Amino acid sequence: MRRMRAWFSRLGEVFGKTRREQELAAEMESHLQLHIEDNVRAGMSPAKARREALMKLGGVEQTKENYRERRGLPLVETIFQDARCAFRMLRKNPGFTAIAVLTIALGIGANTAIFSLVSCVLLRPLPFANPGQLVGMTSYYPKGPFVVMRDRSKTMDVVANSDSAEFNLTGVDVPVRLTGASVSADWFGVLGARTEMGRTFQLEEDQPGKDAFVILSHSLWQRQFRSDPDVLGHSIMLDGLSREVIGVMPIDFRFPSPKTELWVPLHLDPRSTGDYWGSSYMPILARLRPGATIEQARIELAALRPQILAAYAWRMPDDSWKDSNVTSLQEWLVGDFRTKLIILLGAVGLLLLIACANVANLLLARSAARGKEIAVRKALGASRWRLIRQLTTESVLLAMLGGGLGLGAAVYGLGILKATLPADTPRLAEVGVDGRVLLFTAVLAVLTGLVFGAMPAYGASKVDLTKSLRMGGEKDESRGSNKLSSSLVVGEVAIAAVLVIAAGLLVKSLWKLSSANPGFRQEYILTARTTPNQSFCAVAGRCQAFYGDLLNRVRALPGVKDAAAVNGLPLSGTWETIPSDVEAYTVAPGAHVPMLMERVVTPEYLRIMSIPLLQGRAFEDADSASNAQRVTLISKSTAEHYWPGKNPIGMHVKPRWKSDWWTVIGVVGDVKENSLTRNVPDWMDGEVYMPYGPHAIQGRGDESAPAELTLLLRTSGSQIQIGSELQSAVTELNRDVPVSQIQTLRGWVSEAAAGPRSTASLFSIFAALALALGSVGIYGVISYSVSQRTREIGIRMALGARRQEVLFLIVGQCAKLAFLGVVIGLTGALLLTRLMATLLYGVGAADPATYAGVAILLVVVALAASYLPARRAMRMDPTIALRHE
Amino acid sequence: MGDKAPDKKDVWQGTLALMVLKTLQAMGPLHGYGIARRIEQTSGDLLAVNYGTLYPALLKLEQEGYINSEWGVSDNNRKAKYYKLTRAGRKQLGKEEREWEQTTAILARFLAPGEERS
Repeated sequence: MRRMRAWFSRLGEVFGKTRREQELAAEMESHLQLHIEDNVRAGMSPAKARREALMKLGGVEQTKENYRERRGLPLVETIFQDARCAFRMLRKNPGFTAIAVLTIALGIGANTAIFSLVSCVLLRPLPFANPGQLVGMTSYYPKGPFVVMRDRSKTMDVVANSDSAEFNLTGVDVPVRLTGASVSADWFGVLGARTEMGRTFQLEEDQPGKDAFVILSHSLWQRQFRSDPDVLGHSIMLDGLSREVIGVMPIDFRFPSPKTELWVPLHLDPRSTGDYWGSSYMPILARLRPGATIEQARIELAALRPQILAAYAWRMPDDSWKDSNVTSLQEWLVGDFRTKLIILLGAVGLLLLIACANVANLLLARSAARGKEIAVRKALGASRWRLIRQLTTESVLLAMLGGGLGLGAAVYGLGILKATLPADTPRLAEVGVDGRVLLFTAVLAVLTGLVFGAMPAYGASKVDLTKSLRMGGEKDESRGSNKLSSSLVVGEVAIAAVLVIAAGLLVKSLWKLSSANPGFRQEYILTARTTPNQSFCAVAGRCQAFYGDLLNRVRALPGVKDAAAVNGLPLSGTWETIPSDVEAYTVAPGAHVPMLMERVVTPEYLRIMSIPLLQGRAFEDADSASNAQRVTLISKSTAEHYWPGKNPIGMHVKPRWKSDWWTVIGVVGDVKENSLTRNVPDWMDGEVYMPYGPHAIQGRGDESAPAELTLLLRTSGSQIQIGSELQSAVTELNRDVPVSQIQTLRGWVSEAAAGPRSTASLFSIFAALALALGSVGIYGVISYSVSQRTREIGIRMALGARRQEVLFLIVGQCAKLAFLGVVIGLTGALLLTRLMATLLYGVGAADPATYAGVAILLVVVALAASYLPARRAMRMDPTIALRHE
Repeated sequence: MGDKAPDKKDVWQGTLALMVLKTLQAMGPLHGYGIARRIEQTSGDLLAVNYGTLYPALLKLEQEGYINSEWGVSDNNRKAKYYKLTRAGRKQLGKEEREWEQTTAILARFLAPGEERS
């Protein structure tokens, strides 16, 4: 009760300060006068009476300060007081303030930007109901195994969606190719996603004959149907099938991919065996049932594996889905990107440390110059704790100014960051500055201020009163602060070395990646996807005639020199996989059958792509005739894998389910089909080429020739714009065939390197900043040390030291620090760069050339930074230097 | 956040508050200097402390509502701030006196020489 009353009373005393101060002064004065009068009456001289009264009181200022501690809320008040004072100090030193604030803004800005990514990608819950219950399987499964899991799981509600599917929307002005997803009927329900309009799929709506429905994305509804609410209940033509629109999803629902524009029911037909059990591997998601844990789900998945294998009509390899696991959906979506994010966050953390070291150094230099001010404050009754508090308030204020500016920089930088990162970065569209990011920045700013402010403040508060006051403004040359700032510089150089080495390794990887031979020529080739409906090709010969006519028309277009077609481009992720029999090769027991990537090509393909024919002959037009012998080309490494030391010409391969063998007529060079580092995905064993024609095989077991092909046009220049001519050439032949993905081949290759490129460029930026901050730090410390040693240098010169020797003295001091820093940095880099081994290609984490180069670079930068102050020392006039106080 | 010797001041302040209240009860309204002198005299000059420590203690009692203050004129015509006991202060003094007597009585029995108790 009483304590409460006292608090309220003190709260009131925060206001009306001036009146209270006057009253306190008056009370002290009256006390003294009363005491002096008493003393005089007791017979003392007036002077002695006053002295005695003062002593008895214990000092007027000290009493007042003690009184103030009790009055009002001193802690709160002094924070404001300190902040005001700090603000004045910062305004009086605009140069110092600007450099410090900018340095911190850089550090905090970089951290805020990267943390925004981390916050959204790793921390923000997925936009689904109870996202914590959602899980994903680490392996893909065909439809059959999915149905087994869905029907038998007791811990999970299992759903599936096609990995990526494309659809022709026809019956509109210009046919369009749309990215969509086929999803199991309860997919929306299990995810907890609701439509903006209409309904989602109902159970059983993924059964054949009951599945003629489609749900549109908000953007597709807006773009293609002008936001017409009457679209519900109408039918649209997708891939030649009529489907009724039953719903529209909200604008922010973009799953499974940001490109998804429509959803159709998964086609679950056990009668089409190849499709149901063989191809179309899909991601499997699930929601844990109430009470079930991820651990239980894992055990159940392992228990279901033999049941799945037993459900097959043929024997699957024993190790199928052996490593499949259940992970949280968040982790599942983020995947490898997590490592990259954490490495980036580490890099900007190091950058912030450099910034802190720099500002701490600035503060150290300044607190030495402020020795007298601090001594005066102490003499006026400030306790040591109070001094530390004031100096720390100053640095926290600096850091908060820097943080504010950094936040602005981060908002700007985030735009660049989002543009730099590859488009398939998970959840990239959601990334932005949110409450969590703001909180992070605020906490980071305060922490930063405490980190770089604490040591200088502690050091400054140790000031020796009498010595400082007597020295009268001369700088306090304490060895302690010199040692501290030297070790800060060593630390800065070491951290900069780590960052520059990391950047160096990444840039070297990127360079190796870009200069690696993909196995084909990229220049002057324009590509476009043409996708007739599969039903169009069901009639024998109709598709061949269409593509034959189309290629002839395209060759006649201005600027086009040659044209070819292929079922999928290298690096585009589109291919056919053929489980095959290979002549003279026996499958080891338990091992899987040869999985071959099949490229279906027109004869001009190898010529346009400049894929070298190493042996035998290439395809000719006659090879695609319906009565021609079945022939195939095989890649060099595939031939060497299956028939080492033998002549592959005349050997045979065939799809497992066919009886006719294909004869190898030639061997061609390897092509980086899967990625810039791999020919084929690791679960495939090789690559074969087949001529486009009636015998071309589709992996999905369909008997008709592949309908969807990519056109390649060799153009006479790199800037040829052919899009609309191409579309009209196609439309004239068939007005239901859309043209999509018009892009240069170089563009595809460049996209394949987008991930490594973005990491390398981000790291290069960080490394450049680290170098810049580091050299500013070295410059600051060396010039400060030169100004402190002015007198010493003067004496040396007076005693006969030559200018060159003075130069070496200063540069040598710097070289020592830089060398030590580089050694520590290289050691640290050896330990830390191992973490980024997965991001490197063609270069080891301990690449000696990179390390040596960076070491030399850093020493050169350090020496350059010390050159200016060293030159100043060298040119010093000894007579003036000697008189320097 | 004490400056020099916080523990000593704390001990002093606990008893100082009681002495101030008692002095004001005995003497009626009095200024700071008067209170300090009175405490010093009553204690037989055994307590020789800085008068300065009295003022934060007075402020604390005022914040707690046990005393209040107003400016007045002293016997020899000087302006001075006079402190006087409030009703709550009188009650508090009674309570603290009783507590103090109890404490000293207990302590006295402990410290009484030669008296064995079973």
